[in-house]
This record gives sequence, C-alpha cells and structure tokens, in this order.
Amino acid sequence: MNSFLSFLVENIQTFFTYTGFVNVTPGHIAMIVVGLIFIYLAIAHEFEPMLLIPIGFGILIGNIPFKDAGLQIGIYEEGSVLNILYQGVTKGWYPPLIFLGIGAMTDFSALISNPKLMLVGAAAQFGIFGAYVLSLFWGFEPNQAGAIGIIGGADGPTAIFLSSKLAPNLMGAIAISAYSYMALVPVIQPPLMRLFTTKKERVMRMKPPRAVSQTEKIVFPIVGLLLTCFLVPSGLPLLGMLFFGNLLKESGVTRRLAETARGPLIDTITILLGVTVGASTQATQFLTFNSLKIFGLGALSFIIATSAGILFVKFFNLFLKEGNKINPLIGNSGVSAVPDSARISQTVGLEYDPTNYLLMHAMGPNVAGVIGSAVAAGILLGFLS
Amino acid sequence: MRNLKVISGICLFFIFFAGAQAQRTSFLRINEVLVINQDNYVDDYGKKHPWIEIYNSSPATVDIGACFLTNDLRNPKKYMVPKGDVLTKISPRQHVLFWADNNPTYGTFHLNFTLDQDSTKTNFIALFDSDGRTLIDSVTIPAGQKADISYGLVEDGWTQQKLEETLRLNSLYKKGDKLWVYYEKVTPSANNVILDSNEKIENFKLNDADGLGMTLTAMSVVFVALILLYLIFKYIGKVAMDLSRKRVMKVSGVTKEQASELASESGALYAAIAMAIYETTEAHDAENMVLTIKNVARNYSPWSSKIYSLRTLPKKN
Repeated sequence: MNSFLSFLVENIQTFFTYTGFVNVTPGHIAMIVVGLIFIYLAIAHEFEPMLLIPIGFGILIGNIPFKDAGLQIGIYEEGSVLNILYQGVTKGWYPPLIFLGIGAMTDFSALISNPKLMLVGAAAQFGIFGAYVLSLFWGFEPNQAGAIGIIGGADGPTAIFLSSKLAPNLMGAIAISAYSYMALVPVIQPPLMRLFTTKKERVMRMKPPRAVSQTEKIVFPIVGLLLTCFLVPSGLPLLGMLFFGNLLKESGVTRRLAETARGPLIDTITILLGVTVGASTQATQFLTFNSLKIFGLGALSFIIATSAGILFVKFFNLFLKEGNKINPLIGNSGVSAVPDSARISQTVGLEYDPTNYLLMHAMGPNVAGVIGSAVAAGILLGFLS
Repeated sequence: MRNLKVISGICLFFIFFAGAQAQRTSFLRINEVLVINQDNYVDDYGKKHPWIEIYNSSPATVDIGACFLTNDLRNPKKYMVPKGDVLTKISPRQHVLFWADNNPTYGTFHLNFTLDQDSTKTNFIALFDSDGRTLIDSVTIPAGQKADISYGLVEDGWTQQKLEETLRLNSLYKKGDKLWVYYEKVTPSANNVILDSNEKIENFKLNDADGLGMTLTAMSVVFVALILLYLIFKYIGKVAMDLSRKRVMKVSGVTKEQASELASESGALYAAIAMAIYETTEAHDAENMVLTIKNVARNYSPWSSKIYSLRTLPKKN
C-alpha cells in the first residue's frame, strides 16, 4: 500500500513538473500580457483585428510554458504541428500567397488614372532606408539592418518574407513590430500630417480621378510585372503574385479564381500566418534587448516614411501646375498599410473640409507603396542575401 | 478557332518543354579531380584511388542516374551511373564523388576505368547525358599531376563564361583568370572554396558602414521603377482617352471639345449612375462589389431547351 502511495505521489510530482505553473518565467508572463494587449486592442479599439487577433492569440499559444521533453508541441520543435505550419513563414511561402490575395482585391484604378501618384509611393520608402541607416548605427549587421528597415514598408507579408531570408532569428520581433505599427497607423500618422502641412494645404482640392478603361486595368498588372521584375528580379515572389492576383481580378474571365484568391485563400493564409508568427514569439527567443531596439526602430521607420511621403508631395507640388497639385495630406498614404493610411488621409482631410473626399486620391500612393515596398524588399534581398 | 487551339497547344508544349529542360542534367559540372591519391581521401573499402567530383550547380535537385562518365571520347557510354539509386540524386549546389578504381562492383560510385597516373600523360574525363551523345561537361587534366594535389574549378560549378563575366564586372576579384587551378588542400565532396563569411555583407560593412550608399542606390531603383511605370501609364492613359474621345464622337456625334470633356469624366459619375440603376432595378451581374450593366441575352442551351424536357409521361404499352 505504502509503495503504491509513494508511486502515486511520485507520479503527481512528475506530472507537476510538466505543467506550465512550474515552468513559467517572468518572460512568459510578459509575453502573455503583450498577447492580451493585442487582443484587447483588436476587440476594443478595432485596430487591425484581422491581424492582431491571430497574432495576439498566437502569442498566448507560443508562450504557454512547458518542459522540453521532446513531446513535439513547441513551434521550434521539428515535426510539431505548429512547426509544420510555421514552415510557411520560415520558407517564405505565406507572404507571396497573401500578395496573391492582395492583388486580387486591389483596384489600381486610382493609380492608373493619376499615375504621378506613384512617385509618392516611392518617396515613402525612405522609411525603409532611414531605418536601415539607423539600424547600422545601433550596431546591427547589414543583413539584419535590411530586415529591420523593411518594417518601414508597413507591409507585414513583405517584412516576414524578407526577414525570413535575411535575418531569420529576428523575424518574430520584426513581424510583431511591423504589424503593431500598422495597427497603430491611426495614432502615428495624424500628428505628423498636421505638423508638416499648413491649413491651406489641408483643404486643397484635387481633380477627380478619370474613369479608367478595362483595357488599362488589364495592361497594368502585365506591364507592372514585366517592368518591376526585369528591374528587380529578386522581388519576383511578391510582385509576381501581386500582379498575377490583380490580373485574375481584372481579366474578367477568371472570376472564380479571383474570388478564391481574395476570399478563402487569403483568409486561410492570414489565419495561419498570424497565429504562427504570434506563436514564434516564445519568451526565451523573443525577449531580448534586440527586440526592444527593433521596436524602437520600427516606430522611427514609420515616422520617417510618413514624413517623407508628406514632404515629397510638398516638394513635388512646386513643379505642378495649379489644378494638378496634390493635397499633401495624401503623402502619408505612400506608407503601404492598405487601406488604413489612405483612410487616415480621408479622415484628417474631412476634419478641415467636410466636403473634400481624399480617399480615392490616397488609394493611388497607397497601392504604389505596396509596389514600392516589394521592389525595395527585392533590392535588399539582392544586395544582402 | 481551330488555329487558336493549335497556337495554344504549341505554346503549352514549349512551356512544358522549357520546364523540363530547367530540371535537366545540363547543370552538372566536373568540379574537382584527384589523379594521384597517395596519402589522401579513402573510399568505403579503405582504399586510395583517383576520384572525380561532380557538382550540381542548379538550384534544384538533379539525378545523375543514367548519365555516362568516360575517359575516352570514342566511347562515351563507358560507365553508366546506375539508375534507381537514391544517392545519385544530387541536392542543389551539392556534390557526389566517383572513384576511378576500375571496380564497378564496389557500388554506384565506383567507375569501370581509372585515371592514368603517369605524370607525362594527360587525362580526359567527360560527362554525357543519358542519351550518350549530349556532352554535359569535360575536362582534360594536364600532364605533370602531383600526388595529393587536386585539379579543380576556381569556384564551384563555374564556367569560362562566368569567370570572364566576374573578371569584367568585379575588379576586386583576386583569384586570377584561370578556370581550373590546383588545390593543395583537397576538398572531396565539399566546396572548393569554403565560404566562412558572406562576401556581400562584408563588402557593405567595409565600404558602406553608414548605409548611405545602399540608401541612394536602392531609392534610385525604387524611383526608377515607379517613374517608368508612371511614364508608361501616362502614355497609355493618353491613348485610352483618345480612343474614348473618338468613340464618344462616333456614337454621339459631338465636337472634339465636347467629346474630350465627356471622355475625361470622373468614374464617380458612372458609379453614381450604376448605383442608381442598381438601387431602382437591381440590374447587375453576380460579381460582388462591382456594378456592371450588361445586355441580357438568353442563349440556347440543351439544358434549358423545352425540346429536351420531359413534358409528357412515357406511354405504357
């Protein structure tokens, strides 16, 4: 009887060593709190809920403490379910699939009708390289700096894709940082927009975009792909899928494929990407001084990108005729957080003139920003891989 | 219609053919050879023999099975690499090693010929594709080979063209202008040049420590890409508006100026018209979020034909 009791006690003790309560560390608690904040922001304030809910819950999943007993449960344990799903992130095939969906849901008409807005999308990429310079200054290696800099592209899939190639060990921090600041675009951008513009500029009216023919919409993804990928072949996975998705949408004969790409496919991949990126932030891997630095650099990159976009519009206006000038409030939307930054142009614009609708104009630089950040990612990959 | 099908068929054939080509053995290279193996790498039997290293220079796995290795150009099918051995599949940028020991029964990687160790004679080695006619790669090892010093490509898998291109583009390349060089430290089944650092990154650290060079270059490329797109679509937009104006002039019989005004009309106007029609008549197709006005045509189909419908019950006999 005694031996049976001692066996039971021993078993319970062993079981107890496997529980999260024994293995928990302050790091796990900190990360769980971060996950809960993400979920709170998504539900209470509707900050990018499609991203923050999966990522926030993924952080909870990834930070359940457990004893490393080879049970194949952790995301970093080869063969575990989470590890298999995480392959889409580490091998870089989730981001291009997301881009396929983005292409299939993006209407480039605003950009086609006023193509000079592409330059605003280009200018906002200064955020990437500003952060690159600062990262080098803070002691990161050039490849790590490139991966951190891409946060300024405000494009989660691109950030994940590039960091998985250039600095896989920093990917969790970079992805979380990119998605966090994308969610915080409504907080970061408006003060900068007010700071860099005058009251007169904010009420500037732009010419309404002209109607774009179907032929132009079909030609756009084909020419866009050939041109950008001939120039930067390393951007092919992202740009190829983006333009392919857009052709599915615009061709008018592949409606079912376009519906799938912008519906079930992108939803599935978003869920898997979000939850696995979140789960990859295990406290032991994630809570480092470097992660803090990456968060700081991420914030700076968004600030630089927004400022560069607005200031570029002001500079560009010096060369444009009256009537063709651009409202600098759409400069922020070169930051390719689609469509949030365009929506902010609209909201801030309406504050100063309730009849001045900037949304369609802002969508031009917004989608140009997607192309620009993918091109920039291709350049960084080509130079630093 | 028939012509279209033929053209599509030809296009598809070329696509599949090109795809198949991309995976083929043409990426294999004779990478390093040791003719006199005196005190060097030993095989699975503990024997020292000359060896030939083959490198897969492609980014995909290539199966060397069914290819031929020979030391005699008149007999290209001298040794066929056995098919069906998983070990003959060479991973991307990886190697396999063949022993020129004239002992093919020892296994897949033991050849049925050996190399001439007479220092006054040259050795010829060739790799042929599975048809026994297509030469993939060959090398003539010069006379005067020394013991335990291998003869290999200056960089893994390089060709003369690649070397010349590098010499032309990279003035910092310091390994000379010879494609084949001697290695005192032999590297069987390993890279001829061991990479212990990322050359590109080291270059950036050395020459662009503050990142300004990268910023200028990359931003220039981003701007060039988007400026080119801008110029192309500015032109395409003009052409589209011209066409639209001509169409308007033809249909409405208005003047050029009036047509220009109509052609450059904002899309918002059409959206408003479409929305109004939708709200009042619900005339639209099935696509979500897109309002399209189409003629309703009832095309004939056997599925909707009354002729084929079962309108009366079969008669009972």
